[in-house]
Amino acid sequence: MDGALMTVEGLSVSYGDFRALHDISMRFDRGSIVSIIGSNGAGKSTLLNAVMGINRKLSGRVVFDGADITSMRTSAIVAKGVTMSPEGSSVFEDMSVHENLLMGAYLTNSRDKRARMTERAYGLFPALREKSGQLATFLSGGQRQMLAIARALMSDPKLLICDELSLGLAPVVVNDIYDRILDVNEEGVTIVLVEQEVKRSLEFSDYSYVLVKGRVVIEGRSDELSEDEVKDAYFGINKYA
Amino acid sequence: MELFVQTVVSGMLVGGLYAAIGVGLSLVFGIMGLTNIAHGSLMILASFFVMFFSRQVTGGVVTALLLTLAIMALIGALTQGLLINRVLDKGPESALLVTFGLAIIAQNVLQLVFGADYKSISSPFASVNVIDTRWVIVSGEYMVNFLVSVAMLLALHLMIRKTRLGRSIRAAASNVVAAELMGVDTKRAYIYAMCLAMLTGSMGGLLVGQTFGFYSYSGMSYLIIAFGVVVIGGMGSILGTLIGGFILGLAQLLGAYFFGPGVQVLVGYLALLVILALRPRGLLSNMTRK
Amino acid sequence: MGARTSGIRQIGGAPGPRGGWAARKPLVLAAAVVVLALLPLYASDYGISVGILIFLYMSLGQMWNLLAGYSGLVSLGQQAFVGIGGYTLAMVTQAYHMSIALSFFIAAGVSLAFALVISFPIFKMSGVYFTVGTWIVSEALLVFFRNWAFVKYDAGYNITVAYRISMPALYLGALAVGLGATALVYFILRSRMGLALMAIRDDESAAEARGVRLYRTKLACFLISSVYTGITGVVLYLNITYVKPGAAFGIDWTVCMVFIVVIGGLGTIEGPVIGAVIYVILRQYTYNFPGISMIMLGVAAVAIIMLAPEGIMGAVHGRFGFRLFSTERRPPPGTGPRQYPEDAADV
Repeated sequence: MDGALMTVEGLSVSYGDFRALHDISMRFDRGSIVSIIGSNGAGKSTLLNAVMGINRKLSGRVVFDGADITSMRTSAIVAKGVTMSPEGSSVFEDMSVHENLLMGAYLTNSRDKRARMTERAYGLFPALREKSGQLATFLSGGQRQMLAIARALMSDPKLLICDELSLGLAPVVVNDIYDRILDVNEEGVTIVLVEQEVKRSLEFSDYSYVLVKGRVVIEGRSDELSEDEVKDAYFGINKYA
Repeated sequence: MELFVQTVVSGMLVGGLYAAIGVGLSLVFGIMGLTNIAHGSLMILASFFVMFFSRQVTGGVVTALLLTLAIMALIGALTQGLLINRVLDKGPESALLVTFGLAIIAQNVLQLVFGADYKSISSPFASVNVIDTRWVIVSGEYMVNFLVSVAMLLALHLMIRKTRLGRSIRAAASNVVAAELMGVDTKRAYIYAMCLAMLTGSMGGLLVGQTFGFYSYSGMSYLIIAFGVVVIGGMGSILGTLIGGFILGLAQLLGAYFFGPGVQVLVGYLALLVILALRPRGLLSNMTRK
Repeated sequence: MGARTSGIRQIGGAPGPRGGWAARKPLVLAAAVVVLALLPLYASDYGISVGILIFLYMSLGQMWNLLAGYSGLVSLGQQAFVGIGGYTLAMVTQAYHMSIALSFFIAAGVSLAFALVISFPIFKMSGVYFTVGTWIVSEALLVFFRNWAFVKYDAGYNITVAYRISMPALYLGALAVGLGATALVYFILRSRMGLALMAIRDDESAAEARGVRLYRTKLACFLISSVYTGITGVVLYLNITYVKPGAAFGIDWTVCMVFIVVIGGLGTIEGPVIGAVIYVILRQYTYNFPGISMIMLGVAAVAIIMLAPEGIMGAVHGRFGFRLFSTERRPPPGTGPRQYPEDAADV
């Protein structure tokens, strides 16, 4: 738990005349769980796409593990140890569960390591082992989300970004998935939770940022932030909007 | 009755070749949503290369083919990397119009260099009949066309299904963002896919060049055949392409058998339009996509 | 397609110098038409023949642009209507010895009927399938004509009545067709249908959600374009004087439409005008090397799609804010399809 694993410094993104992100600065400490809370259109996806190198039209800096990754290709960023489980648990539908996992280890050349990572994924999510030969398109919503996380872990990341884990899932399922995320964090993986849901985000994270209209309006230790304060900002009722 | 059996057998054999003509079109559509209007013209370009190299440079068809495959793969990579990858984001129509322009350029360059005469590539199997019975006669050439085409499609199918490269191409086809997040360079995956399409197209060009002959503007007629195969088999499905080829080959020759050779092509077109109107995504699209 | 951004700008507000130009525009245009109409008085026969081609190809380009540039219908089958026009002229005047004037009406009627019939299958196909479908339709028509006893199979017709038409008369006909096509597209864009087309071009599903009837609007464009292309075909074959299935229904017509529109500017009304001038003049200069001109046009078209997707006119609009025909309408506040504050601000 010492020092920042990744920092975002003064990040701005514009689409034409529309500025989607204004001067965002964030810090992700080693081994911690950080949540980024915001509603639809707050700029969460824009932020993640910028960090992952999917959207290159940005100004500012992203530093990971001492290296500037701002202008790196996505594959290079993944190789450095940042990975993301994308929103809507977009799994490869016409591939089997096992093939999806293999895709997660796309950049891993060592057969041994791939086998080890596959075991770890199935160990975390035993339900996936039973379905390993099935096409991902036949999975339930919760299983898809598990597969998306398991797939992201296949690259043996130091930092895992989870985009909208709870989207469209039953609370019981979400709790189960969050418990798995805590397990992953126990293994030393730094976690970024990107969520719309305020309560659970604060509960499960060490530090939180609240994003409204492309700006960080509140940040702080999650146990020191009050749910109401965050919600006020979030819904844009008062001064922040 | 003998003639009917012969028609069915010939239809199947030609259908295999049609599948080889169509599979590249199907592949790039399924993977990047590109309707490659230049597919036929580039295939005929390969026919010209094989003809030219075998007559002027190497003396043999096999070495000429290898040289052609290398050049066509390079052309595919350059076309995809320098042109199509850069317009795909602007919508499918822009990319379609680029390939349309390429088709016209290729045709006219060929016409300028080789003239407008019919050409052909000599085949060692042309005059041998491998099956010669009262019921059916099959020439060595048709048999070779069929076997090479089917073998090529199966190899392509296995490559796409079972290898790491194939998986990365499928991932890029299925979900670009997710594939990028896995570390796949999707634009490069598209380049590989286009190279594969060019390689299969070159094989098609060789076989077509040996069997039917070709001239600089033949590409557009073969493009229609390729579309026919793909419309029946469903865009993006390799095994569907094979089935589509069989159906189209059978339909054409049976159409000629029943209605006479004059309207054979017309019957084929009308059938395609009916299929497209009833099943706008291809006849076998649901059956083969699994 | 690249044309989208220009649509946004058009609705947002008129860029550039509008005041003086707007007042003088009708006069300038009228003067231009007079100068063009009097061309036979001061130009050589060769000049007149080039003029004929320019205006006929302009018409083809305008009609293809109405589909691809404004309605999102990329058709590779509009040559079907050129062929219908040519064959109608041949049948009416040669087989039945009736007047040329009658062939215009019959060509329009046949084109309308054919377009309506094929619209049932091809409008079920979307996107690239529509493109492929239109092409197959016209290829089928080509094969059909080759096997049709009524039109003497593949033999074709000499259209002898056309020999009696003087060059100036033919030129005036072509001028009327070319300027008529341009005016027709202009008035369509200024009509309610034009608004619907703009909305469709910006965002098809959003337009539909707002009540734009996609099917009807697109079908109307398709019918208008097809009928006018058929009429243009009649005049084209008065000029060519010999009709044969392979040439009349050949993809080459569509190649020329695509090149004219793409080079001039897809989704701009001046695009087909500029494109037709460039196309015809380039083909004239390289008359003895037809392959070379097609290669040059192909390279130009590919380069323009890659580098300046709105064509020459798009680049001109972008740089100088100049528009000969402004098709924009200012929607009353709050009722327009969309407001674009960022654009309005820089007017």
